[in-house]
Amino acid sequence: MIPEYLLRALLAGIMVSVLLGMLSPLINMKGLAFLTHATFHTLLFGAVLGMILGLIFSNFSLVLWVALIITIFVVILIALLENRGFSSDTAIGVIASFIAGSTVLAFGVLYKVMASRPYFALSQSVVSYLTGELFLITLNDLMFLVLGGAVIFFVMLAFYRDFLYVSFDAEGVEAYSGNARFYLTLLYVLVGATGALIVRTVGLITLQVVAVLPGTIAVMLSNDLRKILGISLGLTLSVQVLSIVLAYLTDIPPSGIATIMLGLVYGFLVLRR
Amino acid sequence: MGEILIIAENLTIYYDGYRAVEDITFRLSSGETLLLLGPNGAGKTSLLRTIAGLHKSYTGKLLVFGKPPAEVKDLISYVPQSHSLNERVPLKAIEVVAMGALYKRGFIHFNIPKSVLKEAEEALEFVGLGDIKNKRFAELSGGQKQRVLLARALVSKPKLLLLDEPLSALDPSARVEVVSVLAKIKREMRITMIITTHDPNPLTEIGDKVMLVNKRLVAFGTPEEVLRDEIITKVYGSLAKAVKVGERMYCFIGDVHIHGRERR
Repeated sequence: MIPEYLLRALLAGIMVSVLLGMLSPLINMKGLAFLTHATFHTLLFGAVLGMILGLIFSNFSLVLWVALIITIFVVILIALLENRGFSSDTAIGVIASFIAGSTVLAFGVLYKVMASRPYFALSQSVVSYLTGELFLITLNDLMFLVLGGAVIFFVMLAFYRDFLYVSFDAEGVEAYSGNARFYLTLLYVLVGATGALIVRTVGLITLQVVAVLPGTIAVMLSNDLRKILGISLGLTLSVQVLSIVLAYLTDIPPSGIATIMLGLVYGFLVLRR
Repeated sequence: MGEILIIAENLTIYYDGYRAVEDITFRLSSGETLLLLGPNGAGKTSLLRTIAGLHKSYTGKLLVFGKPPAEVKDLISYVPQSHSLNERVPLKAIEVVAMGALYKRGFIHFNIPKSVLKEAEEALEFVGLGDIKNKRFAELSGGQKQRVLLARALVSKPKLLLLDEPLSALDPSARVEVVSVLAKIKREMRITMIITTHDPNPLTEIGDKVMLVNKRLVAFGTPEEVLRDEIITKVYGSLAKAVKVGERMYCFIGDVHIHGRERR
């Protein structure tokens, strides 16, 4: 008999795999690794801000919502800066630096608020955002992950070709009457929303690796789009399920195991080249 | 030639507050092919992107089909330099061509409609690449890539075709392939074209007008009027020479020895 928490973890892992399996090749082909990095910094800032508000209003569901709203706001800001002619590097670098500074400030405020409410064990939640808490996923968390994930999945699927075109030739999309800025902004929002949705499952520290490496590995193994998507989905799913099983057996955090497995596959392929 | 298609008067184009090119005045008639010449950084691409409606920071008058360029983008096809494309995206040639027609037909493109695929196949046939439609764009030769981009431009059924350095980084045989397709477009479709180039010689066959720019308009007119020693030396230095071979003008830099032909 599979314990219920393990079943929930497996279902969450499958949802995470589907989202990252689809998104990771786009992140790789469009060159969005730096954006994902900035997004995940923003998620931490949003989570800390959410915890402050959660403590003040005694409502911890605010953490996810604040993280989601702040992240989407920031990725739209980055897209707007790019649309105004700033290079992607500059736009992300400036915003990410500002976010990093704000996060330090927010932590200061959080500790102050926590000190005034010592009966809340919130320090555990901060750590859980960094490392992920796959085995502590509640049924509500799972429902939210599945419903939110389904929305992101179908939007991503509907616009996948447009994301490919805008990655291939954004100016061409614009020249042929398409709205490249909209597609690019939507792609950024999907990256941010995916991060916000899965951060409690995967953890901030691991998120960058599991968002970037499956797509990178898939692109190394094939130059056919269907195969790239298949490899990315298959790899993410295998690594997620295997890491959950191994974590269950060894008591090592699954996010760490997933990172090491993906790193080993990538390292092997690099050495084989 | 037909009606006036492009009117530019005292056109000055800005990038980040700097003047990329200034005080450009010219008119181009329907069906004409304009060769836009100038050294690196002369403002050729800026001028082309502005006419395409992709860049809107300018002063002066610019009318294309009697309207500001951004309002007539459906009638214009812009072919960028092929090296500006992200070839990590594994698109097939037919998918790249279909892109030219898709955005005039809706907002979401999960699938490419069959009618668009058919038009894309016809455009690929027109440029002589009907047999490579399922090959990935990144795997094509430089000349084939440029012809796929031409097919993408044609599938949107433009009245004005703008080509940014279509011959750059191509070997001589690929240049011949591309020029023959451009000549076919001019001959069979009579589309007005503006082509930026560093080397006008392969294109003199199709060029009706030549514009020489170097941050500002140096000369505009027929090849005979513009490709003259006293004009091209202003831009390319004292080693630049104009040579007439048969009925066509050519432009060279360095020592030129042509035997049995008129040297101008």
